Amino acid sequence: MALADRIERYRETLEEWVRGLYHGMISHPAYEKIEKEAEDTEDAFILACFPDAFGIPSPVSYYTSELLPYLETEFESWERRLWDRDSYIERKGQQYHF
Amino acid sequence: MEPFVFFGGKGGVGKTTVSCAYALRCARDGHRTLVVSTDPAHSVTDVFDQEFDDSPRPVAGVEGLDAMQIDPDDEVTRHLNEIRQDLSEQVSAAMVNEINRQLEMAHGTPGAYESALFDRFVDVMRSADPYDRVVFDTSPTGSTLRLLGLPELLEGWIDRLMHKRRTSIDLFEKAAVGANEPRRVMEGDPVLARLQERKEFFEFAGSALDDDAAFFLVLNPDELSLNETRRAIADLAEKDLAVRGLVANKLTPSPDADENGRGARYLRERVATERERLETIRSEFDPPLVAEIGWRSSEVKGDLLEDVADELDIETAVEPPTHV
Repeated sequence: MALADRIERYRETLEEWVRGLYHGMISHPAYEKIEKEAEDTEDAFILACFPDAFGIPSPVSYYTSELLPYLETEFESWERRLWDRDSYIERKGQQYHF
Repeated sequence: MEPFVFFGGKGGVGKTTVSCAYALRCARDGHRTLVVSTDPAHSVTDVFDQEFDDSPRPVAGVEGLDAMQIDPDDEVTRHLNEIRQDLSEQVSAAMVNEINRQLEMAHGTPGAYESALFDRFVDVMRSADPYDRVVFDTSPTGSTLRLLGLPELLEGWIDRLMHKRRTSIDLFEKAAVGANEPRRVMEGDPVLARLQERKEFFEFAGSALDDDAAFFLVLNPDELSLNETRRAIADLAEKDLAVRGLVANKLTPSPDADENGRGARYLRERVATERERLETIRSEFDPPLVAEIGWRSSEVKGDLLEDVADELDIETAVEPPTHV
């Protein structure tokens, strides 16, 4: 094997590792953070739409119920997230990988 | 005067009679008129001696007058069924039950009646094209006032919801790694589209009530009715809706001067107190007293309604609507 090829392979492996490390340490957590934030905002949106699910009467739930047919996936994951969310601090703490 | 005229007031003061009489008067003056009642007791049916339902029907014997009755119960059910229909088209069978529970809850809330009525009112105003004038005989004071205060409140609410939705979609778009499809996209989001539709509906309602509607309150010459009217005027003013005039209904007739029996003395006393109260209305209340209608000994219908219509001093000339 020529030296040039070995250098080439070495560089490829190195690049893959560096990209992997960068993705794992920096970009993935960052995207995850954004996604979590998006989920949180969505939860707030659905809660604002259907506060009567928690016994809080709302003057708009009659109107927001029109959105229900279009909120299937959101509604399902909202319920799921609410079930396994222990506390707000715990949820925010998940963003940090110690 | 404005094309949409609302009559409100405490329960039992005779709003339906006055609304029908006014509608009759408008029709007699050559304006195509529709009278809309939200009274579940179906008093319009009694006044005209004819069955009405929730689509306009011509009143027999009166040229150019249609009437309809809205039942809030039916409206809530209709709304519920419409959403159920959408639901069965959009949502997987497994989720339907889950969502159905939420849906029924939303339609059982105390505000559902008001929302349903409000929707129907605005619908009628929107499709008032064939009519020159629409007369609304509203349900008793409390809920009506809340009804008319709704648009501004709801517009603000919908605005905030849309803002939240946009923020979350925006974040989801940003969270999509590389060429991955984001979980939600802004373009063509059905939820945002629905909210936008609602927002426009409320905007129309708000401007139509502001610019194209006139409000009258019906009252009886008694303390309770006076107090409630005073509050209603203040509440409406708070929402920037001015009351155009007051209609005093069910005034006691005074006996002839030569009568002196027990009945006559009683009537004379009543007339005196009522006169005082009318004086109070004239001096303390801001909107003018536009009609004084005496007690009728029998149900107001037919010719009697014509008489009442004559006693109403409310102009009938119509300005075209600005927002339809």
